[in-house]
Amino acid sequence: MYDLDLLEHTDAVNELLARYGVKFGIYKNKTFKEQLFPFDAIPRVIGKKEFEYLERGLKQRVLALNLFLKDIYSDKKIVKDKVIPEEFIFISSGYLAECEGVMPVKGIYSHISGIDLVQGKDKNWYILEDNLRVPSGASYPMIARELCRRSSPMTFENVHLEDNRNYAQLLRKTMDYVNVGGHTVILTPGRYNAAYFEHSYLAEKTGAHLVNGSELQVKDDILYYVNSNGGLERVGAVYRRISDEYLDPMNFNPESLIGIPHIYDVFRKGNVAIINAPGNGVADDKGIYYFVPKMIKYYLGEEPVLQNAPTYLPFYREDMEYVLEHFDDLVLKDVAEAGGYGVVFGNSLSDEEKKRFIECLKNEPRRFIAQEVIDFLDIDILEDNSAVPRKADLRAFVLMADEPMVWKSGLTRFSRNPDSFIVNSSQGGGFKDTWVLSQ
Amino acid sequence: MTRLGFDYCMKITYEMEVGQCHYTMKCIPQSTRCQRVENIKIEAVPANKWQKGKDSFGNLTAYGSVDFPHSVFLFHVTGTVETGIRKFDEYKEESIIGNYKYPHGLVVPGEGLRAYHAALKEMMPSGGTAYEKGIYFMHRLHQDFTYEKNVTYINTTAEETWAERKGVCQDYAHILIALCRLENIPARYVAGMLEGEGLSHAWVEILTPDGWCALDATNDVEVTDSHIKINVGRDAADCMINRGIIIGGGGQTQEISVSVSRL
Repeated sequence: MYDLDLLEHTDAVNELLARYGVKFGIYKNKTFKEQLFPFDAIPRVIGKKEFEYLERGLKQRVLALNLFLKDIYSDKKIVKDKVIPEEFIFISSGYLAECEGVMPVKGIYSHISGIDLVQGKDKNWYILEDNLRVPSGASYPMIARELCRRSSPMTFENVHLEDNRNYAQLLRKTMDYVNVGGHTVILTPGRYNAAYFEHSYLAEKTGAHLVNGSELQVKDDILYYVNSNGGLERVGAVYRRISDEYLDPMNFNPESLIGIPHIYDVFRKGNVAIINAPGNGVADDKGIYYFVPKMIKYYLGEEPVLQNAPTYLPFYREDMEYVLEHFDDLVLKDVAEAGGYGVVFGNSLSDEEKKRFIECLKNEPRRFIAQEVIDFLDIDILEDNSAVPRKADLRAFVLMADEPMVWKSGLTRFSRNPDSFIVNSSQGGGFKDTWVLSQ
Repeated sequence: MTRLGFDYCMKITYEMEVGQCHYTMKCIPQSTRCQRVENIKIEAVPANKWQKGKDSFGNLTAYGSVDFPHSVFLFHVTGTVETGIRKFDEYKEESIIGNYKYPHGLVVPGEGLRAYHAALKEMMPSGGTAYEKGIYFMHRLHQDFTYEKNVTYINTTAEETWAERKGVCQDYAHILIALCRLENIPARYVAGMLEGEGLSHAWVEILTPDGWCALDATNDVEVTDSHIKINVGRDAADCMINRGIIIGGGGQTQEISVSVSRL
């Protein structure tokens, strides 16, 4: 099965990745550490038919999420029609009152969506979470494919693969579609960001300027790039890789040193596109996740193609009863946390911890969701020259221009530890290329 | 009806020149059902161009940047306001009303405020309207809290100031908002000006079936024809009348003068 020449080149590819600076930075105990993002050469392979099915479901989901965001920051019909309780919106930490009544260019909120899926042993795919703020990860399979082709061209001779190196074109199209006139820039917080490699790589591949906050300036409601002569050149679209909070000290966190004063005022007047739009956190909130299938029905009048992992909302009394009864079989997630933190498996707690957790749950039912533990379909990774099964997920990327486009690849992340279900890169796992077959 | 003239002036003097500053002012009152604003004049020093906008709560903003060295920054607004036109203000914020219903920012009740709310609820005559409850909370708070300057700061939360039982108008407003929201009455913060005071003032608007009713807990009154509303929000942080950042060093003195007089 693994008669791939590529596997012989695992070390060579990892060395090249290291030389290209493909790293993942993490903060541990308040110090910044950069670590390599280990690449596993056994690709995850998804058949043509199967990917077409995923594509349908992903497009549908991202369309609905965009409509939801547009609705939430204006009329809130979905709340008035009692599909989603009002408090889930207003208590969400991702909801930003500052975005009320502000319409992004062409009404698009989530231009780049990273949708995390897993495949169960039953072969069904389940959506684990939506990432609509600044999802990262596309650059890793892009460059891995490039380096694999270089190291082992013969591996690719006889397989019919969708080329994933077109991500840059899709991204460029997405950015150009909303550009209101002027340069397109990628705004990075800089070198000490976990995804800095990706920022620079995407800038290079799309031909956008890579800039930091101090190179952008607002004057008379227009955003400018300050060129090396001190001249001002208009910017029409900003793919920002900094969070909402730090984007503009005049409108959001006043302590931010990496933001651009008044950029949000320019956006408010429609004079620049910000990719993704501020305020998207209200739609990828773990509490709102529960409602995404309902959103699809509400906005599109369609049945969801892709299912959520079975989820319970302790906010509803029946769900709370179920959760208390089946506590040991469930995984509980704190809706305010991200990156694999705030995730608790019911059966991993001592009696004392369990008692305390349940008390907390009863006091703040809105703060948690509970999910059935999905029996993941393991996929193989290479360890000491033999294949061993590990848990893995898939981050699919959906880009939104005049219509949603699904990138025919994705980031497959796996956990190093055989007993762990947590595949988040901030917790030290590795990644694989995702092959989508073209025939 | 009453005609008031107002004068708001903020002046910052820098010990050393600063190279750049950015500012957003929310110091321009606007006409509502309860007040008619006229003859607005705005002067900025340095006399550079600023932009007009509106924030998501419906407040007027004036913002801009100065990108050359300067040692004084001044923003000065004058105008006249007809007040005492009507008691309740128009309710037109239905789609964002949730912002005024749930805990947020500086107005997140902790154990202390929850206990205070529970105690008041015990004593309060049952079956009251939102308006009656709001008035009741205001009267009680006025008795249970002491006005004292320099014990709280702009970032002091409702829970913290309640623990001390003393503070200024901002603190009275935050506690009253917390009490009303715990009672499921939408409540919002109002920054404004008051006749005869040299500073800006703060009070609360609560939503009743007749519209927004404005309660000034510091003075234990429903707002009168001496109050001029400037802006509204969830808490004091949303309603900062001036917000700015400077690039450059050295000390600075900020003087804010507010005067409101009857014409």
